[in-house]
Order: sequence, then structure tokens, then C-alpha cells
Amino acid sequence: VDFSLSPDQVLIRDSVARFGSTYAAASAVDPWPTFAEVGWLGLGAPAELDGFGGPIEISILVEQFGRHLVAEPYIPQVVLAGTILREAGRHHELEVLLSGAERFAVAYEEPRGRYDPAYVETSASKTAGGFVLSGEKVRVAGMKGATQVIVSGRDGDEPALYVVPLDNAGISRRDVLGVDGHAVASLCFNEVQVERSARISTDGTGLQLLELGLESANAAVCAEALGVMSAMLDMTVEYTKQRTQFNVAISSFQALQHRMAEMFIELEMVRSMVFLAAMALDSDTGSSVPRSVSAAKSYVAQAARFIGQNAIQLHGAIGITEEYELGHYFKRLTVLERIFGDKAYHLRRFSQLSKQGVN
Amino acid sequence: MDLKFSPSDDAFRAEVRSFVADNLPAGIREKVQLGYEIEKDDYATWHRILFERGWAAPNWPVSHGGTGWSATQRHIFEEELAYAWAPRLLNFALGRAGPLLMQFGSAEQQQQHLPRILSGEELWCQGYSEPGAGSDLAALATRADVRDGYYVVNGTKIWTSYAQWADWIFMLVRTSVHENRHDGISVLIVDMRSPGITVRPIDTIGHDCKLNEVHFSNVEVPLENRIGDEGQGWKYAMFLLQHERTSIGGGVATARKNLRQLRELVTATLVDDDRLDDRISEVEIALEALALTELRVLAALSTGNAPGPESSVLKIKRTELQQTIGEIALDVVGPYVDTDVESRYFDLRRTSIYGGSNEIQKNIIAKRILHL
Repeated sequence: VDFSLSPDQVLIRDSVARFGSTYAAASAVDPWPTFAEVGWLGLGAPAELDGFGGPIEISILVEQFGRHLVAEPYIPQVVLAGTILREAGRHHELEVLLSGAERFAVAYEEPRGRYDPAYVETSASKTAGGFVLSGEKVRVAGMKGATQVIVSGRDGDEPALYVVPLDNAGISRRDVLGVDGHAVASLCFNEVQVERSARISTDGTGLQLLELGLESANAAVCAEALGVMSAMLDMTVEYTKQRTQFNVAISSFQALQHRMAEMFIELEMVRSMVFLAAMALDSDTGSSVPRSVSAAKSYVAQAARFIGQNAIQLHGAIGITEEYELGHYFKRLTVLERIFGDKAYHLRRFSQLSKQGVN
Repeated sequence: MDLKFSPSDDAFRAEVRSFVADNLPAGIREKVQLGYEIEKDDYATWHRILFERGWAAPNWPVSHGGTGWSATQRHIFEEELAYAWAPRLLNFALGRAGPLLMQFGSAEQQQQHLPRILSGEELWCQGYSEPGAGSDLAALATRADVRDGYYVVNGTKIWTSYAQWADWIFMLVRTSVHENRHDGISVLIVDMRSPGITVRPIDTIGHDCKLNEVHFSNVEVPLENRIGDEGQGWKYAMFLLQHERTSIGGGVATARKNLRQLRELVTATLVDDDRLDDRISEVEIALEALALTELRVLAALSTGNAPGPESSVLKIKRTELQQTIGEIALDVVGPYVDTDVESRYFDLRRTSIYGGSNEIQKNIIAKRILHL
């Protein structure tokens, strides 16, 4: 066991941090081609497609995205969609994902499904040439620049996955800008015709593929949340040191010191949970992945509330202004703790897996 | 970064597991499993078994009879012992007096005591707290005045665990008075059979009656029983406290074991209850986080860094989780059914108090990590 970063990993961390420190969300220039060029879109992809690294490298990258509040759809488009395409063996789609030529969102949640990827009402009826998709998907993350969507639908008992160009006739979309500045959408599939080759899962593997994608995505969400929280704690510590009340720096007050110590403790636990999730994904012992990822996500979600809320509280009123950056971190954190399943969802999942004797 | 256990780590784990399975006496294992009191003889027996295998002091350097294990191996060892319901060896000799002597003791002191500590022939206790010096340890007032070639010790130590069994005590005494209270403190090692020492047991609200008050009345201690330099005791004491908080591995493994018992208790006592399941899962998850955090601290240590203030993080989280487990058990059984569960809950109050209260640990994190 060795927790130190390899030279390559240090390189990733430092180059992402460098990018992040000059990143501006409002910029007219789309950084995606740059991501493709420097290889960030290929993390976790097979070596024959010039991919490199894996879950640990991804967590290093997104942690820096979190620290610098890089509002790009890396997790939904590269981690979630990329994992699904990789596991499905769809090398053609992976190649265009890696080059940045096509960008994939993943549509799996439904209005009545509440985070559960197994809840699929969307139908996929077989036709002579392929399938017809009908149904509604909500909370489709990663819509910025997306050209295709991976969607779950039932063509029998089991959900299957289909890749569909977003400009396909019959898809209506309601775009929403999230509180975190990320582009999301609700998608209605109204008898959308797709070819047979659009189905990327073989019989009975659709849900499994989707879950694999979500495990990787959630591990990455934890890592990004770690970056966000570490930035928030640093800002809080610095702020209390320079903020003077009663003629002293408010950091000299024990009530505030203890609160920040508690935030630090939680942050260290979060860091360990990011390792735990990445470690489970990185090893070959597949059975522990769902349990470890749900453990990580539920812990991180809880810590996110504690660290986020207290960072605001210790800043006082300046913390709730739109002008000040802390609030932007808080908004992103508030999305991260719930996206792809919140604390309650993952805690329940963990309990059920434990009961089934999964370790 | 490599987060996997290596094949040789796995082989080591198997070796420890089979050794414990073959050598831990069934009677001792049962006592630990059922939460019964572990007798002095039980500790001595298990200590001797580990000593003969060369495993009594995983944290000691090889030169003094330690194992020379990596941080990962020590972690595995502690885990396996806990899983097998082995008692943790008494720690004041092996975990405190030993490192103190190795770090600051004279060659003669080391020769006299280290082999006997290693073999388990010599038990120790720690004389830190006093009636007027708890969290504010530097307020200690026990005096050691030089008279006729001896230190003459007068004062009272309190909350002294295992003083009733101890052969020796290492203690903080005031050898001179200065404006800075951290100056003038020295560490003495004292034979518990010395005339003038009285040990009075203190009954607690829990099971545990191993706390004592130790009174020193004109106790004569040879000058050569001072550790290190006169007046430097505060420095030595701080070194040891950090050691204590980093005495890693057993904490999480023990908590995991208690959690396993809790699950058994729930299965035996209650019908399905999702909310209770989730509460237990929350603790289980937090224990995973703590276990990895411990491993991270250990890994940093094994690359040559001294145990730092991050040991405070471990101490707080470990004790909080232990207490939470005790609390859930309390809620599971309800009153008047299982007094062991209640006693354990009472016993666990001490964990957030001893070794520097958790509030003191937060002060340490605030000052030394966050630089507030």
C-alpha cells in the first residue's frame, strides 16, 4: 500500500491545477478541444485507443476541477458515458469521444425513478429496422456540447442502452442551467426511431453497464467534492484569520477553532473515502465496488453538508453573497452531494448489499 | 499510488491468522468475545505467547526486539488479532514506557527495563494527571526535591490506569519552579514497591475499576531514575502523548469487532428495522473511512516522518465511533435487559476524556494543523 503519487500522477495533478487556476466558466472559448489534445478525455480508456490511467488518475483530475470550480461536464461525458462505452466494447463511439468530435450525455433517471437506474418506464419497441424509443428522462447531466445521448429503455423485461444523436427527430428537450452553472435537461423521447446498431448492450446487460458507469461517476463525484470542500475549508481558515471583531482575529475564538477542526477531520475522512472508492474500482475484485462506492458517496454527501454549511456560517453574511466565490463552491457541492444518488439512497443501498452478504 | 495489498501482505495476513488460531487460548478468546473482565494472568499468558513468537512489540525497532514490520504489516497484525478476539496487550509498558526509554532513557535504564517489558515480566503505569492538573497538565504540582542524594517525591497522581498491577510508574514531577510552567518538569521512573506509595482504586460508573489514585508521601527515588535531562520532562511527555494517540490499528479493529457484536445483538433481539440498519451502516462506513485514514497516517510514518498532530484526528474519530456503537447497542436492548450493554456505554464515556480530551485534540488540530 502506497499513498504517494507517481511522477505521472503528479503531472496530471499539476497540469489540471494550472488549467484550473486560469479557468473562467464564462469564457467563450470551449476548453473541450484542449482536454482532447492533452489526453484528459482518454483517462480510463483502453490503451489501444491511446487511453491511459484509471480510477485513481480520474480522481486526481476531478479533485482539481473541484478545487478550481471548473464547470465542465467531465464526469457525465467522460467518466459516466466513457465507462459505459468502454465496458460495452463500443470502440467507435469511444474514439470519437476521445477526439472530442462527439460528446455523450447519459439519460437514465425518470420522473418517478428517484436515482434508481433500474427504474425504467421508457419503452424501446423492436421494429423491422431497429427500435422506437418513447419516454421521459429527467436530470440529464452533461448537456453542454452534447451531440449524442445514451438512453435506457425496455425492449422486454430488462433495460437496455441505446446511443441516439440528440438531433434525432422526436426528441424534445427542456434545457435548464443548474445552480452550479452546469447544463442539464429533461428529454422527451416521442417515438424516436433508431437503428438496430444503436443498442449498445447485449441481452440483459443494460442495467449492469449503467451501474458500472454510475459507480465510476460516483467515485469521481466524491473526488470532485473533496476538491470543493478542501477549497472551502482553506477559504474559511484564511477568512477567519483576517476578519477582525472585538479587536481580534475571529480565528482566535475557540468555538470557531473547534468548528474548523471538525471540518478538517471530516475532510480527512472524505479523502480516505475517495481512496476507498477509487481503490475498489481499480482492483479486480468486482463484488466490492457497489458497496465501496455507496459507502463513499453516503459519507461524502453527509460531510458535504457539514463542511459546506459551516464554511458559510463561519464567513458570516459575506458567505451568502453571490459576489463572493465561496457561495459558488457551496452551490456546486450541493449538486455533487445528490447527483447520481444522495446520502439516503446510497446508505440504503449499502445496507441492502450488507444484508445480502456482499463485502 | 498503489492501494492494493501485495501478495506478500496477504501471505503475512494468513501467517498471523493461523498463528492466532492455533495459539490463542480458548478461555481468553471467550472472555474477550463476551466482554468479560480480562485478568492479569490472561494478559500475561497471551503476552508470553506473542513474546515467544517474537511478536510482542510490533512497534519497537528490531534492535530492541521489535519486529521490523512495515506500517502495512503492523496494520494487518492488529486487524487479525482483533478479529480473532485476542486481547490487546497492556499498553503502558510496551506502548509508552518502552518508547520513552528508547528515545530518552540512559543505556543502563534501557538494559534494566526494556527486556523485561518486552517479555511481559514488568508492568507499568503512567503518572500524568493530578487532582488539579487534567487538561491543563502543566499545572501539575507533584514535587521531587533533591535531598541526601535522592529525589523525594510528594504529591498525588490520579486516574492512573492499572496502577494496582504496575511494577513501575513513569511520572511527571516538578523539580523546580519557573515562570513558564512548562519548564522545571522532569520525568522519573519509580518502583511501585517504594515505601510511601499508596494506591487507592477508584470505582467508576462502568465495569471498569482499573482507575486509581496514587499517593506519594516522601518517596525516595534514586537520582539515576530520572529520564533524560532535568527540567525537560514536558518535551518528553508531549512526545509520548502523540505516541499514545498514534498507537494505531487496534482502535479501528476493535470498533469493527464491536460493530459485529452489535449486528449479532440486533439479529438476536429485533425484527427487521431499516432505520436501525442504516444507523449501523453509517458507523460501518465511517469505520472504513477511519481505517483508511489510519493507514494513511501509518504510511506517512513509515516513510520516516514523526507522528504528527494528525494523530489527534484519529483519536477523536476513533473514540466518537466507539461511543456511537455503544449508544446504538443501548437503544437496541432498552433498559433492564442487559446491564453489560449499559456498563459498556458508561465505560465508553472515558474514551473521549483520556489521552487528552477530544476538546484538547481539537485545540491541537486548530493550532498545529490549521495554524489558527
